[in-house]
Amino acid sequence: MSSDAGTYRGDLILALRMRDIPGDRIGEIVAEVESHVADSGEDPREAFGPPQEYAASVSGRARTRWSRADVLVAVGSLVGGWSLATGLLGLMGGDPVGPLPTWALLGVAVVVLAPTLGHLRRSASPARDPRTGQDLAPLPRWVPWAMGASLALPVVLAAVVIAAAS
Amino acid sequence: MPSETPWPSDWLRAALPLCVLAVVAEEETYGYAIAQQLREAGLGPVKGGTLYPLLNRMEQDGLLRSSWREGAAGPGRKFFAATEAGRAELAGRTAAWRLFTEQATALLPSLEEAR
Repeated sequence: MSSDAGTYRGDLILALRMRDIPGDRIGEIVAEVESHVADSGEDPREAFGPPQEYAASVSGRARTRWSRADVLVAVGSLVGGWSLATGLLGLMGGDPVGPLPTWALLGVAVVVLAPTLGHLRRSASPARDPRTGQDLAPLPRWVPWAMGASLALPVVLAAVVIAAAS
Repeated sequence: MPSETPWPSDWLRAALPLCVLAVVAEEETYGYAIAQQLREAGLGPVKGGTLYPLLNRMEQDGLLRSSWREGAAGPGRKFFAATEAGRAELAGRTAAWRLFTEQATALLPSLEEAR
């Protein structure tokens, strides 16, 4: 795959994601483009037009604005993340942080984060290539580590501070 | 008529669905081969960006079905075939299209008059 075709694939996947197209449908659309230009020898941009325009015409959808689900995910992440962090801090420090007891904070975190993460997992179905069954845009291996580290770092730092202070 | 003639795009848009359905009903085939057959038939070059949204729409409407097949060499291809509903649509629409174009043609001046 030349770098041009690779760029086109990435741009097209992004443009389709912006229109909330499900992953397996994205896989179909991308595979159609790549299979066609493999036969015709054309440049994908030449045969299918700019990725943004092709995504609009093949999906018949405009770029999605914030839906109600997106707002709920944002609020859920904020409330759930805050509850989890303060709950963990209370657990480590032995004293509740803020007016709510630690168990209540952790309870809120579980109740809010579980459906939020479940929704994100369902809506972020991978774009699979129907020809090979492989993920067309796999996450680099370091991404889960980086996300885990950025979540764990504040808690670890807080634990160090609490341990040093006591 | 040379096959590279760029027909007015609204003519092509009107004729393309029925022509694609006719090509696919003839034999199960894939996108690039459909584009080549349309070109050989004198409809001019049909871009992938026009053809695949149309094929997808027709599949959604139940006129076509598709399946991916391994190529002998290289990547797989998506083959399209006409469904029963697609064949019924082709039969009904073909009669209507012929009547429509005959009536439209009858309204136009003859080629000698038009010169």
